[in-house]
Amino acid sequence: MKSLNKFWLASLFTLFVLVLAACASDDAGSKGGDSTEGESAEKSDGVTLTIGSWRTEDTEKYQTVIDAFNEKYPDINVEFKPSKNTEYNTILNTALKGGEGPDIIHLRPYAPGIELADQGYLAPLDDIEGLDVFPESSLSASKGSDGKQYGVPLNISTTQMFYNKAIFEELGLEEPKIWEAFIELCETLKSEDYTPISLGTKEGWLLSLAHGIVGPAHYGANDFVEKITAGETDFTSEEFLNSIKAMDELKQYFPDNYEGLGMEDIRTLFFTETAAMFPLGSWEIEVLREMNPDLELGFFPMPSAVGKDPTITTWVDGSYGVNANSEHVEEAKKFVEFMTTKEFGNLFTEKFKMISAIPGVETDDELVNSLAKAVETNSTPYMMLVHFAGGNPTTKATLETELQGMYLGEQTPEGVAESLQENASTWFEPFQ
Amino acid sequence: MELEINKNLNRNKQKRNWKRWAIHLFPIPALFVYGLFIVYPLLAALSYSFFDWNGMIRGDFVGFANFVDLFTLEPFSGYFWNAFGHNIIYFVVQLVFQNAIAFFLAYLIYKKLKFGEFFKIALFLPRLLSVIVVGFLWKLILNPNFGALNVILGKFGLENLQKAWLGDPDTALMTIILVNCWFGIGFMLLIFLAGFQAIPKELLEAATLDGAKEFKMLKTIMLPLMIPSIMITTVLTFIQSFEAFELVYAMQGSQGEPYHSTDTLAVYFYRLAFGGSTGDSTAIGLGSALAVVLFIFISTFTALLLKFMQKKEVEM
Repeated sequence: MKSLNKFWLASLFTLFVLVLAACASDDAGSKGGDSTEGESAEKSDGVTLTIGSWRTEDTEKYQTVIDAFNEKYPDINVEFKPSKNTEYNTILNTALKGGEGPDIIHLRPYAPGIELADQGYLAPLDDIEGLDVFPESSLSASKGSDGKQYGVPLNISTTQMFYNKAIFEELGLEEPKIWEAFIELCETLKSEDYTPISLGTKEGWLLSLAHGIVGPAHYGANDFVEKITAGETDFTSEEFLNSIKAMDELKQYFPDNYEGLGMEDIRTLFFTETAAMFPLGSWEIEVLREMNPDLELGFFPMPSAVGKDPTITTWVDGSYGVNANSEHVEEAKKFVEFMTTKEFGNLFTEKFKMISAIPGVETDDELVNSLAKAVETNSTPYMMLVHFAGGNPTTKATLETELQGMYLGEQTPEGVAESLQENASTWFEPFQ
Repeated sequence: MELEINKNLNRNKQKRNWKRWAIHLFPIPALFVYGLFIVYPLLAALSYSFFDWNGMIRGDFVGFANFVDLFTLEPFSGYFWNAFGHNIIYFVVQLVFQNAIAFFLAYLIYKKLKFGEFFKIALFLPRLLSVIVVGFLWKLILNPNFGALNVILGKFGLENLQKAWLGDPDTALMTIILVNCWFGIGFMLLIFLAGFQAIPKELLEAATLDGAKEFKMLKTIMLPLMIPSIMITTVLTFIQSFEAFELVYAMQGSQGEPYHSTDTLAVYFYRLAFGGSTGDSTAIGLGSALAVVLFIFISTFTALLLKFMQKKEVEM
């Protein structure tokens, strides 16, 4: 009996020691990062950097980038450690708040990334070489409110109308150059029993994205963006209202039961060749080709309804920043500096099949190349993401909810515009 | 001899004292875990709710401002009451479609219905799946254009009943709640069945001898004795209804889509505190305030519910 008592007393004691140890190491961890780990690694084979990102699907591709980097800097180890897309922000924010987080951080574009910089979690990058290759519009995706640069732009995302070339050929259709031709095209497709536009309204983000494609055709692209960001016009203006009305009119060309369809559903309708057009982003190219290798994929810039040039909607999708609390800020800067080189740009475009933020980079992929060219001549910003992703809820999120309401018959286009204006005027300085 | 006995008695007494003392030590590890994962976050949320937050950075102490905003400032207050209403619908519908049906089925199985054992297992099976899996499975079944439900309706010539179940604000909330009932009914059934089986046979035999009919027996003898089971299931359903999150999140995302028609307080809390699914901004102060309100509401009503039910309980 006595030995039993001793046994559990001992175990209880051990438990307390373990608990204390856990608390103690927790404290050390939050102050010094993973310093012990880093130091031991440093002694044996140099520094180890971690990259945090939401692109879990790119892990293998990043390895080739890291290998290329290691040819120049063999003693800096780099590990790509992504987390799930929808959970990335939560994980990153919690880690940063505790003084930890990856050394190199994949920044969400515009407002959320800039917020991190403004809160002091990122190291300014103005002293690295190569930033001057980027146009100002790309750099603005990660420029802090203090005017310093906190991120190196990685890739340009675009949204445009994808179409099925085989269906167009079969019906003798051509890429439309003006809005009326686009509507005519939809009518023809509908009468031939194809779903003209594969879009569902169940997931709100698809709606702001689609508005990003269709909207500029009605509000007059860049001129309007300039005016509204200067506060010279607002969301209740006729031009903008027309863009919402156009979204409403297009619903007759959506698939059956569109209100219940989400991302996967509309993608399926398009790659199974039931639907002829698919308003979505450049990141879908690889997915679509994988799903249906025989799909003859084409795209066209959105034709204008107000006599302007057709437009491709673009924005910088993610930049790379450096964690201000990192143990290895200098080494991390070496890595983001590498991301400004043409060598990196070429490798990136070739492996990732995305448009590099570094201008003039080309690939052997015809579609990606022509998209990149179209971007250089016809681009208009994804206005809601670039300029109106602030507020709580954000103006972009408000547009998503309200458009959803409109498609469900619970909101009018006028109501959508008014709600947007109401939301934006709570935080957007030019409206105040 | 007497000495020997005394010695033994003493030793036994010592042993008992030692045991009595030791018994108080055993909960310590559990209390530690409970404190770390339940009490600490609760207090942390409480403290967060009194501050102004700028993203992840804590700003000034603002007292009850977050609570006031939650109830009065548009659009936050609108979302709050909207979600609150849905939670109430959740509770009521679950009482009717989950607990009442589970009670009835448990009675039939208790009465030795044919294949009773099979039904018991079949109804409990969904419970073995993770809620997230249930959500994704039903999302596939309910898909308007490829899903099994609409296909089956079509096969039976009921095309006019085919619809976007999860995309239409008129049906989305009810659809999710019914899926939740499908998931939860087996568990409630087991609780009721255990309750029925605990009723002393003598009481029923005596009643039969006195010539009581089936319905009268159920009403006057069984029902009062089932109050503890009814109490447990009602309280569990209440707590679960006001915490409803996983299924809505799995099926409709963090926006309670479409058009916030499936929003619940817990989903709204998630959206407020951690930002929307596409990297929306966070409001930690408001989110914490909502969590505190939710905690106070659930604990108060659970206590009231228990008190009320206890009065109805009968001594056996």
